[in-house]
Amino acid sequence: MAKISELLPRSAIVLDLQSKEKFDVISELVRPLVAAGAITGESEFVSAIVRRENMESTGIGVGVAIPHARTKAVSSIVLAFGRSDSGVDFNSLDGKPSHLIFLIAAPEEQKTEYIMTLARLSKLLRKDEVRIGLNKAGSPDDVLRVITQHES
Amino acid sequence: MERIMLYVEDTPGMATAAAWSLRLAKGMSCRLFALSVVDPDAPRRQDSQTSDAEERAWSQLYEVEDDAFQKNVRISLLLETGEPLQRLISLSTSYDAELIVASADCRLTCSELVRQSNRPVVFVK
Repeated sequence: MAKISELLPRSAIVLDLQSKEKFDVISELVRPLVAAGAITGESEFVSAIVRRENMESTGIGVGVAIPHARTKAVSSIVLAFGRSDSGVDFNSLDGKPSHLIFLIAAPEEQKTEYIMTLARLSKLLRKDEVRIGLNKAGSPDDVLRVITQHES
Repeated sequence: MERIMLYVEDTPGMATAAAWSLRLAKGMSCRLFALSVVDPDAPRRQDSQTSDAEERAWSQLYEVEDDAFQKNVRISLLLETGEPLQRLISLSTSYDAELIVASADCRLTCSELVRQSNRPVVFVK
């Protein structure tokens, strides 16, 4: 199974998110994945993400959100990462805004890999040192270095 | 009823308990809170195994979440560290769950959960 760092293209790391609202942030993170060819049906994928966001909170607390969807509009599992200094409201149970946002896109048929990617990413982001490293990262390479260092 | 707390654990009966909870939540238009607790003091687990336990716990939570999404059931995931029985009782109160659901083969002491919690408890077999 691929590592988190292997699923996150440099071009999909946005260290200064311009959007302030949840769905705008999602669109901002989807764009580079569409450009990279990983998401083949942008509107279908965004619809799936929006539907999930309207049903549940993908904010896992401690300033982290992981919006995700599994649809036919995705060719292979891929991640995007965005960082927001001001924070974005992802309806986290702890009531705090999310500053670190990882978007996961997966093909419909890869349920096991999708679940495992969500689980490994969630575990990784509960580590204080990972969140501190991602908040301090000055470049996409720094982001990938932090993730690589802490992936088991 | 508006909120159900499902206790999630890696036991053979978990899938049945989750499916039952999802049916109930859908039928009653409830929100489901799926809770998993990693016990750092569990005797079989060393440091690295605790990390593995956390990954397994997340994986089970996301399995339930994916099923909930397919069934249009509102869900929130909770992963906590601590003594499982006490965390379950405490969080079911914090989130004002009106019902606790667990698998009948969970590792909690069922009688203690029923005795200590002030919420109704259903064990699914």
